[in-house]
Amino acid sequence: MEATIPSRRIQVRPRNRANIVIQVTLLTLTVLTLYGLVTIDARNVEFFAAFGDMLANFRVVLFEARLKNLSWFDLFRELMVTVGLGLLTTVFGAVPAFFFALFAAQNLAPRRVTDAVKAVMAFVRAVPTVLWVLFFAVTVGLGAAAAVIGMTFHSISYLVKAYAETFEELDEGALEALRASGANWWQTVFQAVVPSSASAILSWTFVRFEINFSVAIAMGATAGAGGIGYDMFMASSFYLDLRELGIFTYAVLIFAILLEWGATRLKETVGATR
Amino acid sequence: MSLLEIENVSKRYGSETLALNSVAFSVEAGEFVAIIGPSGAGKSTLLRCINRLIDVSSGDIRFDGVSVPKLRGAALRRHRTQIGMIFQHYNLVNRLSVIENVLHGRLGYKNTLQGILGLYTEYEKREAVRILETLGLSEQMYKRCDQLSGGQKQRVGIARALVQQPKMLLCDEPIASLDPSSAKVIMDTLRDINQTMGITLLVNLHQVDVALHYAERIIGINRGQVIYDGPPQALNNEQIYQIYGSEAGELILDLKERYAA
Ligand SMILES: Nc1ncnc2c1ncn2[C@@H]1O[C@H](COP(=O)(O)OP(=O)(O)OP(=O)(O)O)[C@@H](O)[C@H]1O
Ligand SMILES: [Mg+2]
Repeated sequence: MEATIPSRRIQVRPRNRANIVIQVTLLTLTVLTLYGLVTIDARNVEFFAAFGDMLANFRVVLFEARLKNLSWFDLFRELMVTVGLGLLTTVFGAVPAFFFALFAAQNLAPRRVTDAVKAVMAFVRAVPTVLWVLFFAVTVGLGAAAAVIGMTFHSISYLVKAYAETFEELDEGALEALRASGANWWQTVFQAVVPSSASAILSWTFVRFEINFSVAIAMGATAGAGGIGYDMFMASSFYLDLRELGIFTYAVLIFAILLEWGATRLKETVGATR
Repeated sequence: MSLLEIENVSKRYGSETLALNSVAFSVEAGEFVAIIGPSGAGKSTLLRCINRLIDVSSGDIRFDGVSVPKLRGAALRRHRTQIGMIFQHYNLVNRLSVIENVLHGRLGYKNTLQGILGLYTEYEKREAVRILETLGLSEQMYKRCDQLSGGQKQRVGIARALVQQPKMLLCDEPIASLDPSSAKVIMDTLRDINQTMGITLLVNLHQVDVALHYAERIIGINRGQVIYDGPPQALNNEQIYQIYGSEAGELILDLKERYAA
């Protein structure tokens, strides 16, 4: 036993390529950050005055919030428009994503197919949602339709990756057992793959809904998709009404907290039956 | 005509591993055959070639007069329904109930839509319940499989294979993950299935003493080749040495103890 302990220092972390790349990347980022701080051009900005103004604005937004152009009912309706946009694009994304993911999982489809599906999805995912929305705006015009199509597009690619990885983690044994008893591919999918991965699929879909909710706000502001994002845009750059902007911020914040709470509850109940 | 005829079957993984090397034997209906051999000998590969979870590289397998290597689509599914399989790790869908897992054994008989929706006939459900009762699992019927003990899970696996109404069962190390008393229950159950239902058994086993105790025929495999094929009584220490190579020492000792007892 003693003979196997080497006399030189023992390396716990192997000196492989992945570790070296990580270290070099961190070092580079540190250097760039320091360089940026030292050389930033702040001559035209009165730093302390600007900082004070910012705090004052924050105070107005957070502590003097009130509605003016919209009623409470309008606020609720606009919030629901945004929620609807997030929900719709999530559902529209989840259904095709499920079927694509079956063909992207290596334990369910041949290698050639999974590679092709994964490559296409990686490309779609690499382009940010906003760009997809603008891209579709060329054909259907800027507005809700472009936002729905563009967000759905990106949701599909995101969910395909999440679902396919879930499928690939499944116990190969159960699939083999069903195949051995004469079940065909679709039967195996719905009798073994779906029941085993239902909770993971549900939580990934919910994660995407949270993402789509915040993207829907941004789309309202930038792509004319309507909803609370548009109202925030109008309040901040058209009416210049920081107080009304404050109410919108609170509304979004409260809804986001509710969503987070719902997600946690969902995971708890799903986890309990796991 | 024998139920299962294996003729000159070879299986190659990649270019190096020859997992099966010209294996040939036949099995009559109703036999209880144990396949023994060291780790990596090719036991699992052999069983999986029989129900075509793996394609053979060369040779022919005939089951009930049908040549297995050429089967495709519906004919392959029909072939598989006639052969039940039991696994070391049970291979159940853990998140489903016992009865749902048992009914999976009927999927091979259903069309795609019925299978997807899990639409089983009243007769099939009654059969599943009856089999669960004979295996002593009626209490567990609606429990989720991840709440069962290892021995219970393996009995669910057996029930799933039995609702197929198979002619033959392939068992890949059915007791390797079980404690001795559960292992005994499982082996007794298998013997009972063989004797009362007349179902042919092909069982991969690590434990030579168990194989000698239960099987009426032993096939010993080493490096993909059949080294021994005959009754347990005729298996001597030298042959065990040939099957297991250097690992044989302990096993031979076990065997002596068994014969001394
Ligand atoms: N999918 C595979 N790809 C490549 N080689 C494989 C594959 N499956 C098995 N082998 C090789 O084939 C040989 C036989 O394997 P097999 O699993 O049939 O052995 P076994 O007798 O069942 O062993 P054990 O008792 O450990 O289960 C081994 O050398 C193994 O490494
Ligand atoms: Mg094996």
